[in-house]
Amino acid sequence: MMKDILKRLTEKFPISEIEEQRANMIFVTMPKINAVQCISYLKQFEGFTHLVMLAAVDYIEDGIFQLTYILHNYELHTDIGIRVQIDRKQPVMESIHTLWAQARTYQQELKEMFGIDFPGSPDIDEPFLLEGWQNIPPMRKDFDTLKYSQETFFPRPGRKHYDPQKYMKEKLYPDKEPE
Amino acid sequence: MKLKDWIAPFYVWKRAFEKPFTVPKPLKERPGSPRYRGFHQNDLDTCIGCGTCSSICQNHAIDMVPVDGIETHKGDSGLRPRIDYGRCCWCALCVDICPTTSLSMSNEYVWIDTDADVFRFIPGSEKKPWDSFKKGYKREEEYQLVDPRRIEMEMLPPEERVKSFLEMVKGYSREQAQKEADRCIQCGICTATCPAHMDIPGYIKAVRENKIEDGLKLMYETNPMPAMCGRVCTHQCEEDCALAHTGDAISIRWLKRYLADQVELDDYSKAMPVDILSNGKQIAIIGAGPGGLSAAYYLRLLGYEITIYEANDKGGGMTRYGIPEYRLPYDQLDKDIEYILSLGVEIKYNTRVGKDISFQEIHKESDAVLISIGLMLPYKMEIPGEDLPGNISGLEVLDKITRGEKVHFEEKVAVIGGGNVAMDSARTARTFGADVTVLYRRRIEDMPADEEEIIDAQQEKVTFITQAIPLRIEQAEDKRLSFIYGLAEMVDQGEGKRPKPVLIEGKEFSIVVDMVISAIGQGADFSFLPMEYEKLFSRKNQLKIDEFFRTRDSKIFASGDIANQTKDAISAIADGHRAARSIDHFLKNL
Amino acid sequence: MKNRDREKFPNVLNGIPVIDLESQKFLKVWQGPQHPGVTGNISLEVTLSGDEVVDLKTHVGYLHRGFEKLMERRKYLQCFTIVCRICVPEPDTNEYVFAAATEELAGITIPEKAKWLRTLVLEMARLASFLMWIGGQAGALGMGTIAQWTVAQRDYILDLFEELTGARVYHMYMVPGGVRGDIPDGFIEHVEKVMKGVEKVLYDVEIALLNNAIFKMRAKGLGYISKAMVDEYGIVGPNARAAGLARDIRKDSPYLIYDQLDFNVITGTHSDALERTFVRFREMLQCVSLIRQVINKMPRNGAYYTHIPNPLHWKIPAGETYVRAEASRGEYGYYMVSDGTEYPRRVQVRGPSYTHAIAVLEKLAIGTNLADLAGLMVSLHTCPPEIER
Repeated sequence: MMKDILKRLTEKFPISEIEEQRANMIFVTMPKINAVQCISYLKQFEGFTHLVMLAAVDYIEDGIFQLTYILHNYELHTDIGIRVQIDRKQPVMESIHTLWAQARTYQQELKEMFGIDFPGSPDIDEPFLLEGWQNIPPMRKDFDTLKYSQETFFPRPGRKHYDPQKYMKEKLYPDKEPE
Repeated sequence: MKLKDWIAPFYVWKRAFEKPFTVPKPLKERPGSPRYRGFHQNDLDTCIGCGTCSSICQNHAIDMVPVDGIETHKGDSGLRPRIDYGRCCWCALCVDICPTTSLSMSNEYVWIDTDADVFRFIPGSEKKPWDSFKKGYKREEEYQLVDPRRIEMEMLPPEERVKSFLEMVKGYSREQAQKEADRCIQCGICTATCPAHMDIPGYIKAVRENKIEDGLKLMYETNPMPAMCGRVCTHQCEEDCALAHTGDAISIRWLKRYLADQVELDDYSKAMPVDILSNGKQIAIIGAGPGGLSAAYYLRLLGYEITIYEANDKGGGMTRYGIPEYRLPYDQLDKDIEYILSLGVEIKYNTRVGKDISFQEIHKESDAVLISIGLMLPYKMEIPGEDLPGNISGLEVLDKITRGEKVHFEEKVAVIGGGNVAMDSARTARTFGADVTVLYRRRIEDMPADEEEIIDAQQEKVTFITQAIPLRIEQAEDKRLSFIYGLAEMVDQGEGKRPKPVLIEGKEFSIVVDMVISAIGQGADFSFLPMEYEKLFSRKNQLKIDEFFRTRDSKIFASGDIANQTKDAISAIADGHRAARSIDHFLKNL
Repeated sequence: MKNRDREKFPNVLNGIPVIDLESQKFLKVWQGPQHPGVTGNISLEVTLSGDEVVDLKTHVGYLHRGFEKLMERRKYLQCFTIVCRICVPEPDTNEYVFAAATEELAGITIPEKAKWLRTLVLEMARLASFLMWIGGQAGALGMGTIAQWTVAQRDYILDLFEELTGARVYHMYMVPGGVRGDIPDGFIEHVEKVMKGVEKVLYDVEIALLNNAIFKMRAKGLGYISKAMVDEYGIVGPNARAAGLARDIRKDSPYLIYDQLDFNVITGTHSDALERTFVRFREMLQCVSLIRQVINKMPRNGAYYTHIPNPLHWKIPAGETYVRAEASRGEYGYYMVSDGTEYPRRVQVRGPSYTHAIAVLEKLAIGTNLADLAGLMVSLHTCPPEIER
């Protein structure tokens, strides 16, 4: 069954990569421009009626965000993950809130957490979780949580850690220079 | 709606007089379950301060801190975990991973105080009511985060081993090595125990990540003979490995060997590019054993011109002439030596100082002289009959075998001594088909030989007679020898000292053999030093050396077996390295 | 919906209602962020006309702890200790899904016994979660006593957790590779005792709540979800089952040992708050039955843990996966991406309330009474922590 779907999918859309994670979980990669069309096709004609989630992965070293749309088919109990790579410098993606009402929540969160814009999605510019956030979108890889917490909060005084290996060197065999 | 539906709301009154669910604490105690993850307990005597609890803690709640009354010594960092309950999440991963199982949790969960700082405490050190609680979370035997079993090293079976001098340890494959390296918890306790203080966690990490060349480079920072040490090192590090407390130690030595085996000699220069700028100063080193070679390597890297004088026709010293080929194949030793020579170290073979060249000449021509002659003179048993034909020293046996000379082993051989030389001689004799008996003054557990050598010898069917004190050797029939020994009892010498064997009067036994190999120890041969250097000695055959390896002559340094107590290859290498640094220091500050 | 006077609803411009507070036709009220019926904090910005809701907006952000980001800084085993904190009433689903995703990417098969123990814990957690929920549901519609009974029973289940796992709320039991401990002595008898107590209370709840005329009248017709809406809004779990769709991950794509257990997917027809209560009530009884089955069929011997590589430097091969499980509220899943290092590249948590409490609630609330709004919110089994992670 899944094979037929994949066959039809490859005929219709320029899929660059197919990865079979499990018998009932397949990831496909395709260009950004075809993705929403493909998702809409899967929803309407292939029975993938359930939008499981929409997630972003930051590949900062490649300069891209990967968006993953996971769709579920309740008849076949099969998942398909549509992977799209978008430019990290201009992170804009077509909205799918017209296909699933809850997609706007995902998109709103992605805008806030990764800075990926979905023009036309309701309330896309409103803060979702972070009210009054001044920094870069925090789920991006270049946002350093440890640095942020050290700058924002204060460490508890009185903490000191000794590294066993270094401490033993200090105690047992320190570098001694003849005078 | 039925009538029942309208009555339903009043049904709740039914329970109005039932016993309440609440437990009125503190009137009534409610102890945590036997597996409850409550406050920490730490057995300070079992804890070795390896800091693994601190590394696994995802909250950074654990600091390793010094504790009064706990000394730093080999195998124990002297640090103990201090837990910040402001951060602790009671996940107990620290308990799960603790290699000594000293850390555990009690089932106590109530602790009230007005001062927030007391909740940062050192379990075990600061007395708490729950210290003695038996119940609470302990790691289950079956659930261990780090595999307690090491990857078994493949060896030739004993019946194969006694037939030839083929290397008996086969070495790890890449998969095996990575799996073994994966077990390492990277605490670094072993580094202090290693005489050369090698960065053991560092090179094990290199094995794990398959960064062979990085690993080789790291090893050469502290040890320029890894192929040799990877085979015959006494591996004291493994005794202090944190994992050895509840399981098998990491096979540190085999991992070192694995790293050295992975790189061909020709690729060493690629792995470790060196740029030596000669400073024109001359250093003479007497003896091309591990100590001398190690010093030569580090001095050469610093730009010195090195000449090594070696009495034999090959380098390696005791590691070549004292260790049989099945333990250390000569090509592996050559590999280490060749690399050191390739850096521009000059070595003069077949040059015995005092005979082929005078010590004065060397002393005059060099900016510094390093004596690293090792212990090549076998001790005598000092018993009657020692000069009868059929007596031979263990060193002589091993030396002859190495040189390819024929040694005629008779049918029955007695080996006297319990050190590595004794074991090697005994096993070599077994290889030639002899029936071998080892006689030792103390018990097996007192033997200075490596444990695995003893086990290997036992596997190869060497007979052991212990608590046997040599008395005399008498000529028996058919040119045979009768070795007479007395039985000893072990007399306790007080705490910390090893028991002394004392002869039991009248208990004499004898064993008739064809050959007696004595291997009871060896000393240094300083006969090459002219009389004018008498002042260098503190007592007979003992050079006076300070902690920087200087003798009383400011130009003469000494290292290796003649300069340390442990008298093994790795200590000699460590000494060589330190002597090199101190020579460099003194020459720079002249 | 009855034919109402449309006059009181605001004008709609480009799909967005224009609410002119100056006109004095509307009143803005905030419900929350505290509400005893939900576990966590969520606030509803309600626009009223009279006592009728004309517009609703869900506001979250009171609980954001950044678990997904924290996991990117932690090694896999260290993540295991924080995932359970994502959801207070039912932490074990998080533990299971995280462990399953990690095991799938790392190619680890867990021992048979660990599967049984995991199933046992998951079912106990479902039951505990439902017991807490039904208290909230009854309370939100005016019957606080039920919560006293059921939450006490939940506490007895927490006692069982304490005995089995060593902790009451955050169990940290399903470690990648299996579970952390075997069932202790006497545990099976304790489970049976607690199950008997739960059954007794559920019997009382059935009489006092499900037959309660007031509850019935208030819950009937509240928050009707049409079948068409289920897919469009991504509604899962009992909310979807109450709409007549027999969807249960335990049945559809069985994980652990659910294929060896005997149970049916419970569905309803009316798809309102009352029907959802019935469905969940029957699922509680189903949980009791499943727990008994697991206890009886579980292998008594065998390993419960298989060695994972040294967790201090455990690298998982690059890859990505999505693993789901049926939580008390519906489909719960983790999308995990590994890039071959010691740290996960990305972990995204999919909680059912993400859709239920925002898009669905905002839609269903229109036209309800303010007094019924809390009942509606709880009838969707809202759990705010899984919205914000």
